[in-house]
Amino acid sequence: MGNNGENVMQKSILSSLAVCALLVAVPAQAADEYAVGLSGAITGPVAGTYAPAVEALRLYIDKVNAAGGVNGHPIHLIVQDDQGQPSMGATNAKKLLGQDNLLLLLNTSLSSTYAPMIAESQRAGVPLLFAASVCPKEVYPPAQPTLFCTTAFASQFDSRATLAFVKEKSGTSINLGLAAMSIPLSRGEIDYAEGLAGEMGMKAVDKEIVPPAAPDYTPFATKLQQASPDWVYSWAPWVTEVKTLEALRKLGWEGNYIGWGHIETEGELARLKDGKFYAIGANALFSDRLPVQQDITATATAANSTYAANLMTEGWIAGMVVEAALKQAGWPATPEKVLAAMSHLKVDTKGLRGGPLEWTADNHFRTRQYYRVYRWNPASNGIEVVKDWTAYEVH
Amino acid sequence: MQLAVNIVVLAATYALIACGYVLIYRVSRVLNLAHGELMMVGAYLLVTVASASALPPLLAVGLAAALSLGVGVLVHLFLMRRLTGQPALAAVLTTIGLGILLRGLVVLLWSAEQQHPAQSLGLANPPITLFGGGRISTLSLALVLTTGAVYGGLFAFLRFSRWGIRMRAAGQNPLLAAQRGINLNGIYAVAWGLSTFTGSVAGILIALDSGLDTTMATIGLKAFPVALVGGLDSLLGSLLGALIVATAEVVLIQYVDPLLSDVVPFLILMAVLLARPWGLFGSREELDRV
Repeated sequence: MGNNGENVMQKSILSSLAVCALLVAVPAQAADEYAVGLSGAITGPVAGTYAPAVEALRLYIDKVNAAGGVNGHPIHLIVQDDQGQPSMGATNAKKLLGQDNLLLLLNTSLSSTYAPMIAESQRAGVPLLFAASVCPKEVYPPAQPTLFCTTAFASQFDSRATLAFVKEKSGTSINLGLAAMSIPLSRGEIDYAEGLAGEMGMKAVDKEIVPPAAPDYTPFATKLQQASPDWVYSWAPWVTEVKTLEALRKLGWEGNYIGWGHIETEGELARLKDGKFYAIGANALFSDRLPVQQDITATATAANSTYAANLMTEGWIAGMVVEAALKQAGWPATPEKVLAAMSHLKVDTKGLRGGPLEWTADNHFRTRQYYRVYRWNPASNGIEVVKDWTAYEVH
Repeated sequence: MQLAVNIVVLAATYALIACGYVLIYRVSRVLNLAHGELMMVGAYLLVTVASASALPPLLAVGLAAALSLGVGVLVHLFLMRRLTGQPALAAVLTTIGLGILLRGLVVLLWSAEQQHPAQSLGLANPPITLFGGGRISTLSLALVLTTGAVYGGLFAFLRFSRWGIRMRAAGQNPLLAAQRGINLNGIYAVAWGLSTFTGSVAGILIALDSGLDTTMATIGLKAFPVALVGGLDSLLGSLLGALIVATAEVVLIQYVDPLLSDVVPFLILMAVLLARPWGLFGSREELDRV
């Protein structure tokens, strides 16, 4: 290679390094701010679930700051994208925790990113909040001291509430079909539901575990349909829940279908207009028209948000909790003060959930989990509440 | 009957995607590992066309497919052309980088939300009951028919048209083809355009039938073993490969364990490669050249 080629190569390397430095740099925060870090799947295959929550949290923090901040100090939210990849989650945690005065770390990503982030946050003594990502078992009683969760869904509790609803509607002499995605969390929950259904006297006639990138759900639905279920229950990412339903309907199956109500529920109920499709969840849908939901809508509209307001409940609740924890920690705050505040926190969710979100010293999930069931009502051509808030104690 | 319908639909899906891998490899010996992402971009172009215009569904689909053809040509002109004459590995690595870039751009441009272009276009998708009681959605039937039309068109194009014959010549001996005055860059651009077009047509039809999100790129990658099983330089091979893989998947879902459907394409691939490394209909000399 000649001199010219070497120069070009050197310039390319230097340019690449400069670009990399810009990409990985974490903006420094001022000393009079509350510093909060977040690693989330903002891009990548699962971004549809997590990116709206990150956007909502950002909008909520901006709103708090515009109103004067917390205890007179702004919150500085530092967001890093991990694309749902464990290695990037670990790198992000190191970068964020390397900041001076970081008070709280948030995870809004896949469960595969948990282990490295938990290890890094515990090493640094900074509380870690799972927001819009599935609650790990360590937040349930007896909780690990530094781990907390605001996310709506809760393994085992969700299936208990779902099958209790099915029993209420149709009794226990029913054939139950089950559908999951072939990821550990979904499979584990559906396995639990299969056992619980048996204990309740229901007959689990088929269980389909669908790979994440199935080009056609019809072969799986065919097998489900042939088992003649009265009800089908799916606890999986939304894409699996709804594509299984659509494939079943395509095959002419007319039974009842119930799935976990993810953030997409509202728009999808309206799209599908299926009166026998029930969505059970812990968040209120925007068809309730609560004042707080109107506030979210106005904020999202004013910010010209990429995502619809009805996708933002999870992120908004996380914002409420962050604000409440920092307020209770006072100023100047330290990770220890924030941790103490979070260990005895009660946040009014203003109707976004069935009741307040309350943490105690050994319960960092919530002391009560509330469920509601919605469906599309073809007669009124709108979403309706089929079963109102039902509380489950979390011990 | 339903089992047969499921096999035909899945085979048609894989075949329509796989022919894009074959077209590029056959002409330029490049394994395009961004094919799934390009297919996804084609489907997202339909989302844009559907939301930005009031075109009738067929015209909107046609326009999105035509735009995707342009995307393929642009990928060649601005990226792959610069790698002509470089080792094949450099081109393959470039397609991996292109795939990562496209995945990020899709989220930035269209967001990560699930999209339903059929709804935007006001397109209904009622099921059709076939002879024997099997059911198929209208758009799945359209996908099967389109796959037949695309393969028929490609066979005719490669066999009888001037550009098709030039493409075959460039694939067999690029040096000789160039010495005979064939414009290799033009041929490669056409191959990239056609490959992206066929992949996008698959992506568009899947998106219309069952929605669209960023996992579509992974579906594109699932068709890669199909092309390898059939032989990377054989369109007929990719048809047969698609039928074999789809049959194995659907039968395993039905009678053994649905979880096996994810690994069976790769098991078949390994079995075929052990017995016939150049694929069922691939050319032995091409493998030696690789």
